[in-house]
Amino acid sequence: MSKASIGRQTTWVEKALRVALYTVLIIMATVYLMPFLVMLLTSLKDVEEIRTGTLLSLPSTLDLSAWSKAWGEACTGNNCGGISPYFLNSFQIVIPAVLISTLLGAINGYVISLWKFRGSDLFFAALLVGCFIPFQVILLPMARTLGWLGIANTTTGLVFVHVVYGVAFTTLFFRNFYQAIPGELVKAARLDGAGFFTIFYRIILPLSTPIIVVTVIWQFTQIWNDFLFGVAFSGFDTQPVTVALNNLVNTSFGGKEYNVDMAAAIIAALPTLAVYVLAGKYFVRGLTAGAVKG
Amino acid sequence: MANLVIDNVKKRYGTTEVLKGINIAIEAGEFLILVGPSGCGKSTLMNSIAGLEDVSEGRILIADNDVTYTSPKDRDIAMVFQSYALYPNMTVAQNISFGLEMRKVPKEERDVEVQRVAELLQINHLLNRKPAQLSGGQRQRVAMGRALARRPQLYLFDEPLSNLDAKLRVEMRTEIKKLHQKLGTTIVYVTHDQIEAMTLADRIAVMKDGEVQQLGTPQEIYDNPANLFVAGFMGSPAMNFIPAKVVSQDGNPMLELATNSTVALPFPKPEALVNHIGQTVLLGLRPEMITEPQPHKVGQDFVTTTDIKVEVTEPMGADTMIITRVNDAEINCRSNPAYPAAPGSVIEMMFDTSKAVVFDQATGHRLDK
Repeated sequence: MSKASIGRQTTWVEKALRVALYTVLIIMATVYLMPFLVMLLTSLKDVEEIRTGTLLSLPSTLDLSAWSKAWGEACTGNNCGGISPYFLNSFQIVIPAVLISTLLGAINGYVISLWKFRGSDLFFAALLVGCFIPFQVILLPMARTLGWLGIANTTTGLVFVHVVYGVAFTTLFFRNFYQAIPGELVKAARLDGAGFFTIFYRIILPLSTPIIVVTVIWQFTQIWNDFLFGVAFSGFDTQPVTVALNNLVNTSFGGKEYNVDMAAAIIAALPTLAVYVLAGKYFVRGLTAGAVKG
Repeated sequence: MANLVIDNVKKRYGTTEVLKGINIAIEAGEFLILVGPSGCGKSTLMNSIAGLEDVSEGRILIADNDVTYTSPKDRDIAMVFQSYALYPNMTVAQNISFGLEMRKVPKEERDVEVQRVAELLQINHLLNRKPAQLSGGQRQRVAMGRALARRPQLYLFDEPLSNLDAKLRVEMRTEIKKLHQKLGTTIVYVTHDQIEAMTLADRIAVMKDGEVQQLGTPQEIYDNPANLFVAGFMGSPAMNFIPAKVVSQDGNPMLELATNSTVALPFPKPEALVNHIGQTVLLGLRPEMITEPQPHKVGQDFVTTTDIKVEVTEPMGADTMIITRVNDAEINCRSNPAYPAAPGSVIEMMFDTSKAVVFDQATGHRLDK
């Protein structure tokens, strides 16, 4: 803001614009948050109350039974142990997949940006194509590949699929971030006697915190929320929580238990929500840092 | 400390040749400066010496060892970069000792070395800071400290001062020269700044289009440039180039000048001009050779006084530059500020041609070599 405008009386036009702006923002936020509010309210009511009340009516008592049922007793198909085992399955898939794809992306980006070789730009362009391949396209070939590798229907297989699919994105993130690092840094380290991995570990990785956070959030969200790979490549015991949630909602004995469905859906969404709340500010910061400098 | 031999080094990217057979040899302890306009290949040559780029042909020898295909870390050289390239995540002390650590020097020895270098460069108080907390000049010192700590055989400086402001640049220039005199190290230094080259070098290699145009001491290059390019590149303000007709006077070839009046200037090597009588050549005359008439010089051989018309004056404090036209070329003269020279007036000036050089107008070659 220029010096002249400081201390100047704001005109009524400016005030009106400000009010309009906030009104629009509040409406948008409400529209966006409304479904979540409905989910939360519904999960706290009992079935009777859901049937008689409206969507937005508040629950008469704070009833957490739907939550405990969703967690430990609800039936998915003919297995009635709630979604908790699948919740753990998801973690078993997500944690290694995120770590491996992030590490591979970091090394790829490091090579493509700072150890350019003949054809490295072409290699990067080819890798970029990977970002634009729709999930459905690779289902059949991937199923064959997993079978051939002997890891079909296993957690390892799902981790493998997510790593392969994620590397294109993680490489892109790291490559763009490392473009801003001057090549002279690597030259100096080489003259100082450091090798490829020493430079990566001692000099490049310590600079990479923002982009690591971005990549981890991105990959965590993508892999946790994945349904298609989960439903196609998991076995009976290795289904991720997204698939279990679908099964839970589609399994009914008599009346539909909306409160349990909602509680399960919220539980399934909690980890990504937590990651974003904890590290969200780094996410925005890291994305823009790469964008401006790259 | 070691000598350096660059033997017919060529570098090609595809079909474009950026180094066209470079031959340079310097003794141990010499300060060599590679200077030239951007794109002349000086940075490529520097990177080749460092081993950061492979050469296409030729050999590089450090301390009489052929290192053409040796990896950078085994060449025992240190480099100071234009961007300083300090490791942002490490403190100053860690930056300085990183190279020693990579060479598995024990911690105690590293600490001693860091102290020695820090004292040498007066950066003791900065040792625990990160590079981001340093000013440009301080970063420059740390970058030099990092190079000094390893005591390598050869130091490479890649435009180390171009990111500093003018005042600091002059200070650091002197600092580098002092350091070189004190330590007697072999240094190869790349710059595009001809004043830096003149002030620092034992020897200068002037480069253009991937070729060394001239290799010599600063004074040789200043007084005796090999061609028009070197003559024009070195010196500030630049040498005056005056197209002048060679005329014969009493059998002696002279150079005809049309200032306010027409005069003929004698030339110290008349034999070089004998075959050019009637043709126009380029007379190269440094600004300090065109001055106000100085009593102790007037009357000497090769000193001619004549009238000129002042177009513009540029007072510089110690001298005043007078700009005039001779044979339709704009020329700079360096005069005493006390000498009256109002723009538009006609004044008497003294042309000293004892150090004049002549070039072929078309090819730029020296004619009087």
